[in-house]
Amino acid sequence: METAPLKQTTALKRGIGSRIFSTDHRVIARQYFFLSLGAVMVGTALSLLMRFHLIYPQAQGMTPEFYLSLLTLHGTMMVFFVLTLAPLNAFGNLVLPEQLGASAMAFPRLNMLSFWITAASFALLLASFFAVGGGPLSGWTAYPPLSAVGPISGPGEGLGQTLWFFSIGLFSIASLITAINMISTAIDERGPGMTLMRMPLTCWNWFVTAILSLLAFSVLFAALLLILFDRLGGTSFFVPAGLLVADEAIRHSGGSPLLWQHLFWFFGHPEAYIAILPGMGIVSHLIANFSRKPVFGYRAMVWASISIAFLGLLVWGHHMFISGLNPYSAIAFSLLTMAIGAPSAIKTFNWIATAWNGALRLTTPMLFALGFVSIFVTGGLSGLFLGQPQIDAYFHDTYFVVAHFHLIMGLAALFGIFAATFYWFPLMFGRMMDERLGKLHFYLTFIGAYATFLPMHFAGFAGNPRRYSDFTTFDFLAKVMPLQRWITFSAFSLASVQIIFLWNLFHSIRHGKAAPNNPWEATTLEWSDDAAPVVRGPYEYSQPGATRDYIMQNENADRGY
Amino acid sequence: MARTLTQSNLGGPPPILPDVPPGDGGGDDRDRDRPIPGSSRQTSITGILVLMCASIMTFSALVSAMVVRRGLNNDWGRIGLPHILWWNTGVLILSSIAIDTGRRLLRRNKRAAFNWYWSAGTILGIAFLAGQIVAWRQLAERGFYLTGHPSSAFFYIMTWAHAAHVVGALGAVFYVEVRALRFELGPSRRTMVDVSAIFWHFLDVLWLGIMGLFFFWA
Repeated sequence: METAPLKQTTALKRGIGSRIFSTDHRVIARQYFFLSLGAVMVGTALSLLMRFHLIYPQAQGMTPEFYLSLLTLHGTMMVFFVLTLAPLNAFGNLVLPEQLGASAMAFPRLNMLSFWITAASFALLLASFFAVGGGPLSGWTAYPPLSAVGPISGPGEGLGQTLWFFSIGLFSIASLITAINMISTAIDERGPGMTLMRMPLTCWNWFVTAILSLLAFSVLFAALLLILFDRLGGTSFFVPAGLLVADEAIRHSGGSPLLWQHLFWFFGHPEAYIAILPGMGIVSHLIANFSRKPVFGYRAMVWASISIAFLGLLVWGHHMFISGLNPYSAIAFSLLTMAIGAPSAIKTFNWIATAWNGALRLTTPMLFALGFVSIFVTGGLSGLFLGQPQIDAYFHDTYFVVAHFHLIMGLAALFGIFAATFYWFPLMFGRMMDERLGKLHFYLTFIGAYATFLPMHFAGFAGNPRRYSDFTTFDFLAKVMPLQRWITFSAFSLASVQIIFLWNLFHSIRHGKAAPNNPWEATTLEWSDDAAPVVRGPYEYSQPGATRDYIMQNENADRGY
Repeated sequence: MARTLTQSNLGGPPPILPDVPPGDGGGDDRDRDRPIPGSSRQTSITGILVLMCASIMTFSALVSAMVVRRGLNNDWGRIGLPHILWWNTGVLILSSIAIDTGRRLLRRNKRAAFNWYWSAGTILGIAFLAGQIVAWRQLAERGFYLTGHPSSAFFYIMTWAHAAHVVGALGAVFYVEVRALRFELGPSRRTMVDVSAIFWHFLDVLWLGIMGLFFFWA
């Protein structure tokens, strides 16, 4: 295998100005990657502060309000700036045009604009934490009426909460621009021969995710518009009549907090799929590569992604079972929610079937891909409980839900991000990450993930409420405290293990082994310098009669594979 | 999407495509020897259609919020629409007709006539915005402010959102206008003409939707 330099290196040679305000999708991809890396570090630090406070509530002067602002910032940071940016914006930008055989994204300048709006949104979010009065307290879901009535509902609900809304508004605009860009790229910028059904599953999932992102963020934007008018313009969309907050009558009249929940969750539920669908694509892609087998049921995988996205738009009500939803609507939402189990199961079975009897190469990215499958299944199973209105009535405000969404949305997506980072690191930096450290990092992270989040299910069984800053004042929770202590210790261990990853990442950028042209012996175009048209599907591994166990998508029969 | 040619990844080797020009091997979009991404007509039209989907979703969310909010409480009062809104509707439709006539003339290479029609469309677009401002003032004089009446709150927010779209579209129309008056509209910029015309017509449809909603229902 020749060791020609990867094509990305040309982008690094230019001046600093063009590196910062670049329209090159690979540079923008790295910018998104490091932005979300920064966000994940801040978000983790916030969660550790919370975990510490939960087991030593007396140790420091942390007010319940401060705890809530940590919770809000942690959630917002992770959901928007990590789980949305890294899988979709960072890796989508890096790989989508390359795999499609496009020279660049459809609208490079809009792409740059989108990144800088996102960066401004991140700056605003950080600023909200230091706003006069304190950081926002309303959680990442920002439920009114308390989020809509201003500082009377809490010290951080003034300027801090307003900045939060503006930050998420900017984020929505940036996400819409990115979605338009990706959809246009996938539809019109595909290279010669790259038909829709020859697109790698990664591209399919980014494409479907971009569509979902377009539909979801435009609705969130409308909701943000309305709530900002409630806060700043004195309208009454979400604030009910006769509301008393802190013994004071609120002047608004006639709105409905439930209206916000409908609009928010119409965005919020698809947002969970925006976080996880790219991971599913990455995992399908990697399992095929490292099993040296074609993806089992390529078409089924494509249609499963599409149906997950479609159903994902129809199930927002399952977040509102205990909000006073009509029981008949609850049944409908519940049935639709259960229906998502079908395409999810198709995916899981196809991942297993792809790896089955394969010539497995247990590299770090493959380990993370398999870890994704494990965590996705574990997190998905608790979804079957929460999808039923009767059971959700008990679990909804407990740590069971915390466990569920951290596993299925947080950690599963994070494992996808880790897999993608190790897999496409050569494409980003022209070097390889260290495999030995990578494996160590994987095993410790995998154990730490389960050790931290599995016990939360049991805390949930015991009725341990979430969002509380102090459990020690409740007698019935005394028995849960040892569990909570374990969770905190485990969370600190899980976080410290990530130092291995950070060291591996930054050390490999400069000193990693130089990457060969096609380090993983993959079939897709991002590893090809050849501009020949695509002539075959994306997963032709171990084809009978071939001289090597992979055939690139643009390799012709007469060119001697 | 006309290129769709399904190929099972498990099947035999697919047919070799005859005489396909070599693709772009990556690189910087500043390299002028390559086609500029997004400059292709089809991509720009797809982009504007997708943007329109996003706008439709945002307005649908606002309309559904309005439906829910109206059913919630008995504080809903109809607002009388100022008459100038009907004039504005006419002005917007006229501007659309002017812009489209211009676009058709440009296709037949009648650049001078295009300039006249496009300028007329631009001026009518600005007139529409001015008319909207008058309408908001008249509404306020009748006692319908952003606060107080939920119906007028929705009216203000939707018409503001529509006006924001018009301002954005006017930016594009202005760009074409400046280029046109300098007779700089080469073939690559004609995509810009078509795309801004498409979006301009979309604003008509959006506006008629808002007018219909408030005239017949709210």
